[in-house]
Amino acid sequence: MMDYVAGFGRRSLEVVGSLGRATQFLFGVLVGVPKPATGFPLLIKQLYSVGVLSLAIVVVSGLFIGMVLALQGYTILSDYGSEAAIGQMIALTLVRELGPVVTALLFAGRAGSALTAEIGLMKATEQLSSMEMMGVDPLRRVIAPRLWAGFIAMPILAMIFSVVGIWGGMLVGVDWLGVFEGSFWGNMQSSVDFVDDVLNGVIKSVVFGFVCAWIAVYQGYDCVPTSAGISSATTKTVVYSSLAVLGLDFVLTAVMFGDF
Amino acid sequence: MESSAYISLKDVVFSRSGRRIFDGITLDIPKGKITAIMGPSGTGKTTLLRVIGGQLKPDSGQVIVAGQEVPKLKRKALYRLREKMGMLFQSGALFTDISVFENVAFPLRVHTSLPEDMIRDIVLMKLEAVGLRGARDLMPSELSGGMTRRVALARSIALDPELIMYDEPFAGQDPIAMGVLVKLIRDLNSSMGLTSVLVSHDVPESLSICHYACIIADGKVIGTGTPDELRNHPSELVQQFLSGQPDGPVPFHYPASNPVDDFDIKGASI
Amino acid sequence: MVQRTTEIVVGFFMIAGLAALLFLALQVSGLSPKSAAATYTVYANFNDVGGLTPRGKVSMAGVTVGSIESISLDKNTFQAKVTMAIRSDVDTIPADSAAVIRTSGLLGEQYIDISIGGDMESLGEGDTFYSTQSAMNLERLISNFASGR
Repeated sequence: MMDYVAGFGRRSLEVVGSLGRATQFLFGVLVGVPKPATGFPLLIKQLYSVGVLSLAIVVVSGLFIGMVLALQGYTILSDYGSEAAIGQMIALTLVRELGPVVTALLFAGRAGSALTAEIGLMKATEQLSSMEMMGVDPLRRVIAPRLWAGFIAMPILAMIFSVVGIWGGMLVGVDWLGVFEGSFWGNMQSSVDFVDDVLNGVIKSVVFGFVCAWIAVYQGYDCVPTSAGISSATTKTVVYSSLAVLGLDFVLTAVMFGDF
Repeated sequence: MESSAYISLKDVVFSRSGRRIFDGITLDIPKGKITAIMGPSGTGKTTLLRVIGGQLKPDSGQVIVAGQEVPKLKRKALYRLREKMGMLFQSGALFTDISVFENVAFPLRVHTSLPEDMIRDIVLMKLEAVGLRGARDLMPSELSGGMTRRVALARSIALDPELIMYDEPFAGQDPIAMGVLVKLIRDLNSSMGLTSVLVSHDVPESLSICHYACIIADGKVIGTGTPDELRNHPSELVQQFLSGQPDGPVPFHYPASNPVDDFDIKGASI
Repeated sequence: MVQRTTEIVVGFFMIAGLAALLFLALQVSGLSPKSAAATYTVYANFNDVGGLTPRGKVSMAGVTVGSIESISLDKNTFQAKVTMAIRSDVDTIPADSAAVIRTSGLLGEQYIDISIGGDMESLGEGDTFYSTQSAMNLERLISNFASGR
């Protein structure tokens, strides 16, 4: 019994220690901002692999989610005779919640796990070590561009997700289910506020982008440099990122949209 | 030793996960010569290279490289010192996403602002020195193990360092590749005036090229000297290591109980 | 060079993001560039503001002429005091007009509609609406209906 408690205590301390290392790591990365001349091309390369390559999954998911929202929403709203409100329902759901959250989860699964695996592999093949020995700080050269790329790409991906979703919802709602196009957009425009809804959604996705990128990059850097270690680190990235995003979403939603 | 020591370790103690890896190591590595550091596996030879390179900090003791105390250096000074060092990792550790040419050019691009055509000339010269100028456009995944190491060697001499450290360069190499590496290490050392530190447990090859050797076991230095001095060393442990005896001060049997207990033979003798 | 293509593609990516932001701003939330127009302040007191919220619409004959700035409780009269910002070019509202709380659609949000009076004088900065009509309370309506009133 005591062993059990001791084990639990030890594991909790490990978690706290890990968080401490992660924070030190983050500090090292943020402080070591690369010189613009060398850093910018690296950033562009990472923006490509993290942002542009995630576009496919974001656009397809956004489209389907928007269309499903329209279908489901129509069935429910028609009970109240309020089909015309479908536009604002889809827009608010996407812009406030689904856009940032689903994009973050997709990002963690696709880009986050790729980042972790890549960095983990570089660690396992001693590329990071050899970089250090050549007098190049791997935090600056390898890690920082990836972190900033995630941070910048996420809000863009989330906005594209919302836009594609709204468009998909419009396809289903207006073209298929016959909601009047004027009221679709009109109701939407009168109930979606740029500052309170759109910008808050963007703030959420910036926070999520930061957290997902940080977790992905740290897990890669800190992993046990074996193939089993990399695979476990990749799994941890996806799991921790997803949990963090969902938890933060609750907190941010309560702060932004609650009336407390 | 006539030349002054380029690297000096005094009473270095280093532990990791509760184990004492170094228990008071004192040794000098002379400048401009090839020094081999040998010992049974697991004695922390690679760790020693990392301590010299400043990647790990010793618990106590001094580590002096080129007159500077490595553990006390601030980040920037440490990175500048590392520009004078080259390190050849066991696996080569080439950057897998860029070509051979780009790999060798990497230190030049990062640490110098030389124009592109000068960089091209230097890279090709270094590749020529290791005999791989024709392989410049290949990707690391297309190279054989021996070729990977040679490219990594070219990369580590790109900045004309003062010190090169080789981590198990002979491990797992076929005789031809081994011969190539031996030639390269010897030639580079003499032509560039480098201080070379070789970590290996391949006794014949190491002793054939080094000027000076150290044997480390159980966290301590058990023998140092020129290859001839070591071959006549009084210590039994040194002799066992050098001649490759399976049993001696390092026992064959892992500590175990009396065989009678495990094999349940009553009254018989083994 | 591969780097060149990558740069161009990333450039398009950023442009796509900016376009999405603009779309969200204009088409989805109806942000209009002339929302920083000059306004003047008028007040109205209601017995019951219902579900009226700040930034709600203030309209006249169905046209939006302003928005609600704030809603507060007057501790002396126990009425709700609503502060509205009306566009400065709509300055001919008769002084005896009424501010009525209406609901747009059955489940829609509530807004203030200005019902025109006949006075020669117009409302100006700091004036208060003389007559108001509170929000329609569904329960009261039903109980009125049920008791046959």
